[in-house]
Amino acid sequence: MFGYLGKRALHSVVSVLGLLVLVFFLTRLTGDPSYLFLPLDATPQAREAFSALHGFDQPLYIQFFNYLGDLLHLDFGESLRQNRSAMEVALEAFPQTLKLAVMAIFLAGALALVVGSLAAAKPGSLFDRFASLVSLAGASAPDFWVAIVGILVFAVSLDLLPTSGTGSAAHWIMPIGVLMLRPFGLLVQVVRGTMIGALSSPYVKTARAKGVRRQKIIFSHALRNSLLPVITVAGDLATSLVNGAVVVESVFGWPGIGKLMIDAIIQRDFAVVQSTVLVTACAIFILNIAIDILYAVLDPRIRYQTS
Amino acid sequence: MRNKGALSKIALAVLLASTASPALAQGGANNITIVLPEQPSNLEPCGSILTDVGQVLSQNITEPLTVIDPKDGTPQPKLATKWERVNDTTWRFHLRDGVKFQDGKEFNAEAVAFTLKRMTGGAFTCNNLAKFGSAKLSVTPVDKLTVDIKTEKPEPILPALLSVAMMVSPATPADKAVNDPVGTGPYKLNTFTPQTVVLDRFDGYWGKTPDIAKATYVWRGESSLRAAMVQTGEAQLTPTIAIQDATNPKTDFSYLNSETTAIRIDTEQPPLNDVRVRKALNLAIDWQGMAELFGTDVLRASQMVVPGINGHNPDLKPWGYDPDQAAKLLAEAKADGVPVGTTIKLIGRNGIYPNGNEGLEAMMTMWEAVGFDIDLTMLDVADWTRYLQKPFPQERGPNLLQIMHDNNKGDAAFTVPIFYHSSGQYATFSDPKVDTLIGEALNATDTGRTKAFQEIFSEVHDRIAVDIPMFHMIGYTRVGESLDWRPNLTTNSEIPLAEIRLKK
Repeated sequence: MFGYLGKRALHSVVSVLGLLVLVFFLTRLTGDPSYLFLPLDATPQAREAFSALHGFDQPLYIQFFNYLGDLLHLDFGESLRQNRSAMEVALEAFPQTLKLAVMAIFLAGALALVVGSLAAAKPGSLFDRFASLVSLAGASAPDFWVAIVGILVFAVSLDLLPTSGTGSAAHWIMPIGVLMLRPFGLLVQVVRGTMIGALSSPYVKTARAKGVRRQKIIFSHALRNSLLPVITVAGDLATSLVNGAVVVESVFGWPGIGKLMIDAIIQRDFAVVQSTVLVTACAIFILNIAIDILYAVLDPRIRYQTS
Repeated sequence: MRNKGALSKIALAVLLASTASPALAQGGANNITIVLPEQPSNLEPCGSILTDVGQVLSQNITEPLTVIDPKDGTPQPKLATKWERVNDTTWRFHLRDGVKFQDGKEFNAEAVAFTLKRMTGGAFTCNNLAKFGSAKLSVTPVDKLTVDIKTEKPEPILPALLSVAMMVSPATPADKAVNDPVGTGPYKLNTFTPQTVVLDRFDGYWGKTPDIAKATYVWRGESSLRAAMVQTGEAQLTPTIAIQDATNPKTDFSYLNSETTAIRIDTEQPPLNDVRVRKALNLAIDWQGMAELFGTDVLRASQMVVPGINGHNPDLKPWGYDPDQAAKLLAEAKADGVPVGTTIKLIGRNGIYPNGNEGLEAMMTMWEAVGFDIDLTMLDVADWTRYLQKPFPQERGPNLLQIMHDNNKGDAAFTVPIFYHSSGQYATFSDPKVDTLIGEALNATDTGRTKAFQEIFSEVHDRIAVDIPMFHMIGYTRVGESLDWRPNLTTNSEIPLAEIRLKK
C-alpha cells in the first residue's frame, strides 16, 4: 500500500510540475498585464516602467527560468494587485472553499444515501417518483438562479437568513444549500440505480429468506455493496467543488479560491493564477489518494500493487 | 457502530469549526456597513484613482492638498489652505497647521516632499501618476508649513493635479506599495481582510468630528444582492447599482457620474477621412431611442466632458437624428469619389458599460439603414486597447471604436490633449489649428482657459466632427433611510464618510 502511495505521489508531482509549466505559458498568452493594471490613459513610458519593474520586459524563456528558480526557493511571486505574496493570498482563500465543499458534499452524500436507498426499496412507489423528481430538479437547476431566488425568498421576503457574507452559522445555510443541490440530485440517481441492482442480488434474497429485517437488508447489506460507484461519482463532484464553487462564491460573497482564480485570470495576476492552480492541484491529488484508500476500506477485494 | 459514532463526531466538529469565525462588525447606532461592487485590490494610496481603492481610501484615510469641487471643477483647500503661482513653473502651497497623521507624526512641508518623492520614485507602480502625464515634479520645503513645487514645463492646473496626490505618513515605506496606509483623514484603518475593510473614526482628526464612528466595507459583485442588502438593513449604502435594481425612490438616487460614452472615428482611414461621412454617422442615430437602453436619466452628450468640468461648452448642441440628411451627405461624398461603400469595422469592448453590446447592435442597424456597411466586432479589453492607443495596428482599416471616458478631475486638460492633440495617445487626426488651440488652453488660466477649451470642443464637434459623443452616463446609488447623504460627480472615485450624516 505504501509503495503504491509513493508511486502515486511521484506521478502526481510530475503532473503538478507539468501543469505549472503549462499554466505559466498559457497565462502569458493572455497578454500584457499593464493594460489591465494601469489606467487606460497611462503613458507608454509608464507601461514600459511597469513591465520592467515586474520582469515582463524579459524574453519569455528568461521569465520562465526566473520562475523556476524562484519555485526552488518556494517563492511563488507577488500578487500584482494585492501587494502581497500570491501563495499567501491562495492559502487564505482555499480553506474557505474547502470548508464549504466538505460540508456540501458530506450533507449531499448523507441525504442522497437515505433518499436513494428508500426510493430503491420500492421502485415505482410515490416516494420513488417524488425522489426522482426532486433529484432531477436539483441536478439540473442553475446555481445562479437558485441562489438569487433563495436570497429573495429567505433573506429579503422572509427575513430568516442573511443575504450573503460570512460570520455566523446562519451565513452558511444558503451557500451550502445551493452548493449541495447538484451533488444531491446526481447522487440520489446513482444510489437508487446501484441499490436496485443490489436489492435484486442473490445474497439479499437469501437474507430476506432468513428473515433479516428490511431496514438492515437495505442499509447494512445492500448499501455497503452499492457504495463503490457512489464513491466514484461523489469523488468527482468533490473534486469540482474543491476547485472552487465560482457561482456560489460570487453570489454569496464567499472569499473562496474559485472566485479568486477567475478574478486573477481576468486581471492577469499571473502569480496568483499559478499559486491557486498549485494549491488546488495538490488538494485534488490528496483527494484522489483518499478516494483510492476508501475503495480499499469498503471493498477488501481491492488491493493496490506497485507494479 | 463505534465507527458511526466517530463519523458523527467528526462531522459535528467540522461544522462547529467552520462556523466559529468572528461575526461581521455590524449594527450600533453610529456604525455603518457599505457594500461595494468589488473587493479593493489593495489599499495603496498611490492607487486611489482606481475606483475600488479610492472609494475606501480617498477623503477617509488619506487626504490630498486640494480637492475638486464637483459643482464647478475648481480646486478647493484641503491640507493646503491656499496657493499661489510664484513663476511659470513654480507653485507655492501653504499647508494647514495642526494636522497630524494617524500614527501621530506631524503633517508639514517635509511630509509633502516625502509623499511626492514616494509617488515619483519609481520603486513601485503609482497609478495616480498617470494623471500627471509627463509632468516632472521637484519639491522644496520653504518653511515648516510652506512648500514650493516646481515643474519642468508650466503647469497652470497643478493645484487640480495635486487632488490625486494622497499625503502619507513619512513612516510609510518608500520602496514598496502598502496595504496599511496612514494618512491625515478622519478615519484610520482597523483591519483589511479578504472579507472586509474596517475603518474607525480618528480622534485626532483636524476637522469636524464625523457622525459615523465605524465603517465596515464588504463587497458583492451582484447588483441585485447589493440592493437587497441595503433593503434588509445588512448594509446602509451601496454605490453603483444597476438601473433595474433602482426601484425605490426613497432610497435610490441617480447622479451624473462623470463618465461619457462615445464612438471614436478613425479619421485617417477612408471613407472616414471625409467630414461629410463623419457627420452622417452622427446624424443617422436615433438618440432618443438609444437613451432608453441606458436609462432615461442619461444626458445626451456633445463633448467628452460632463457639465461642471472646467472647459465644458454649454452652448454646444448635440447632433440630432436626421437620417435623410445623413443619407444626403453620404450621397454627396460618394459623388465626389469617396468610397462610402467600404466596410467599416465597429469595434466594441465586452462589458464596457451595461447594455453596451446592445447599443452597438442598434447603432449598426441605424447606420446600415442610411447606406453604411458596418461589421461589428467585440473584443476583450487588451485587444480593444490596441485600437485605442497609439501605435494603432497597421492593417486596422476604417474603424469606429466604442469608448467611455471618465473625467472627474475638474479640468478639460485631463481629456482634450489625449483625444484631440495630434500627439495624443487616442488621437486619430492631426489639425494644426486644434493643436495650437490646445497649446494655448493648457497654458491659460481662469476664464481664458475655460473659453479656450470650449473653443476646442466647438471645433472638434462642429467643424471636424471627429467623434460621435453619445451620453453623459448616470449612476444609481442606494442609501439606507437612516443616512443623510447624496451621491455626486465624485462618487465613482470616493465616498467621504465624514459627509455622511445620521438622520435624527
